[in-house]
Amino acid sequence: MIPYEIEETLPAENWMVGDVKAGFPSPAEDVHEKLDLIKLLVRNPASTFFFRIDGVSMVDAAMDEGDIIIVDRSMEPFNGCMAVCYIDGGYTVKRVEIHGKELHLLPANESNVSYKPIIVTPDNQFMVWGLVTYVIKKV
Amino acid sequence: MYALADCNNFFVSCERVFRPDLNGKPVIVLSNNDGCAVARSNEAKALGIKMGVPFFKIRHLVEKHEIIVFSGNMALYGDMSRRVRLTLQEFAPSLEVYSIDEVFLDLHGMPIEDFGKYAREISRICLRNTGIPVSIGISPTKTLAKIASKLCKQYPKLQGGCYMHRPEDIEKVLRKFPVEDVWGIGRRTTPKLYQRGIRTAFDFVKMDEERVRALMGITGVRTHRELRGIPCIKFEDSVVTKQSICVSSSFSKEITDCRDLCSQVANFAAKAAEKLRGQGSVAFEMVVFAMTNRFHENVPQAYKSILVPFVEPTGEQRTIVGAAVAALRELYDARMSYKKAGVVITRLEQRNQITGSLFEDSEAAKRESRVSYLIDSINQQYGHGSIRIGVQGDGSIHKLSEHRSPHYTTLWSDIPTASI
Repeated sequence: MIPYEIEETLPAENWMVGDVKAGFPSPAEDVHEKLDLIKLLVRNPASTFFFRIDGVSMVDAAMDEGDIIIVDRSMEPFNGCMAVCYIDGGYTVKRVEIHGKELHLLPANESNVSYKPIIVTPDNQFMVWGLVTYVIKKV
Repeated sequence: MYALADCNNFFVSCERVFRPDLNGKPVIVLSNNDGCAVARSNEAKALGIKMGVPFFKIRHLVEKHEIIVFSGNMALYGDMSRRVRLTLQEFAPSLEVYSIDEVFLDLHGMPIEDFGKYAREISRICLRNTGIPVSIGISPTKTLAKIASKLCKQYPKLQGGCYMHRPEDIEKVLRKFPVEDVWGIGRRTTPKLYQRGIRTAFDFVKMDEERVRALMGITGVRTHRELRGIPCIKFEDSVVTKQSICVSSSFSKEITDCRDLCSQVANFAAKAAEKLRGQGSVAFEMVVFAMTNRFHENVPQAYKSILVPFVEPTGEQRTIVGAAVAALRELYDARMSYKKAGVVITRLEQRNQITGSLFEDSEAAKRESRVSYLIDSINQQYGHGSIRIGVQGDGSIHKLSEHRSPHYTTLWSDIPTASI
C-alpha cells in the first residue's frame, strides 16, 4: 500500500485519513470485513486439497469436466459418501456404497449406460483419499 | 511432558501422499540440482542407499532395483509441513518448529490421562489429515522425546506413538541406544566417547557429570541431565531469526557468459533479500561467490568470493541485488566455466533495533524502502518473481530437477486430476 500524499496547505486538524481528503468522512471507514470464499469453502485448511475433474461419469452429481472439487481428508468415509478414491494407479470420484462385504463405486450419469458401478475387490489397490465437500464450476 | 512429532522419511512421504502406488516401493528424493539422495523410503534404505550419497554413485542400484527417483519439490514439502504443523496445533498450546519435519510440543498443564493413547491419537490424526506418517514420542525431556519418537519407527506395533517415562523403561531403551544417535552428541564428540568405552546412551548416563563437563562442556552436561529426565533445553516457541541467509545453487549447465551468471546471482540476491525482509532484519555484509566444477580435470579452476560491506545496514531489494551483481562482475573471469554461485547475507540485525537516524534521515532511503515494500506486496499477491529487477532476466534459476513432481498443492495448474 502506498501512503497517500496529504496536501500540505490544509491545517492538521482538517486532515482526513482515508480516501476522502476533505469533506465528510465515510461512515463505512472502519468497516474492513470482506467476504472470504476460502473461509466459506474450507473448514479444515490442514486437510483440504483441490482436484480437477476429467470425464463425464458424474454429471448427474453436478461434476462436469474441468470443474474443481474441494476435498477434505479429515472426514471419516461413510456409506453413500462422495469421495475421491485412488484405485489401481489413478484417481476417480464416485459415490461409495457398502453392500455387505463389497464396496461399490457408483457413477452418476443416467444418460450413459456404459458407466457401470465398479466393484472393489481385494485385488484392487484401493483407498478412499478424501471426501468431496464442494464443486467449483464456471457457469 | 514434551512430545516430538517427527515425520517419517518426510520428503518421500510427501510424494507418496499423491502417489499411493509408491507405497511399498523403494523411493528416493534428490537434493538441490539432483546431487545427492536426501530422503529415502524404508525400502530404499534396505537396499543400502545411504543418506547424502551422490546420485551418480547409486545410478546402478537405481536401475537394478527400479528405485523411483524424485527431484526435490520444496513447494510441496513446505506446504505439507505447514499442514502437519496446523494439525499439531490442535494438540498442544505451544509448538517449537525444529525443522521442516520435526516439531516439539509442550504438553505441560494439559489434562491428559493417558499419554500413550494421546501420542497414538496425534499420529492417527496427522496421517488422516495430511497423509503423512508421523512418529510421536512423549517423555519428560526433549532429548528423551526424540529417542521415544525413534522407537515408533523401529516398532510399528506402537502405532506411531510412544510414551517413555518410567525409569526402568528408559534404562532399558538407553542400554540399546547408540550414543552417537542421541540428540546433541555430535560427530566430533563420538570418537572421544568411544575411546572411553562409551557406546550406548546408557554408558553415557552412567558417566560422572564432572567428566562429561570436562569432555564436552555445558552442552554435554545438558544432554546428560536431559537423558536422566531433568529438562534443561529451553522450549523455543518463538520464531528464531536467522543469523545469516544463504541462497546458492549449482547449475544444470556450466555458465561462461557474464550476463547469464549475473542474472543467476541477481536471482539469488533477490531471494535472499526477500527472506531478510520477511524476518524483519537488515544486513551489514554480504558475500558473493562463484566456483568452477572441481570434479572436472584439465580445465582451469576458480573459487572466488567477495565480501561486500554495506555503508548502512540494509534490506532493500535494489541495493542488495545491485551490490551482488557489482561484486560478481568483479570476480568474474571470462576463461572460466562456472558450476555454482551463491549469495550469503550476514551480520543481521533486527530492523527496529537499528538507530533511527540511519533510516529516517534520508529521502532516498525512504524511497528505497517503499520500492522493496511494493516488490514484496506484488510478489506476494501474484506469485514469487512476478516483478523483478531487469538484471534478473526471466527470474529462473538454471538448476537441474529432471524428476520433479507437480506442485500439487500450491499451483492451480498442477493440482491432481480425478478421471471420472
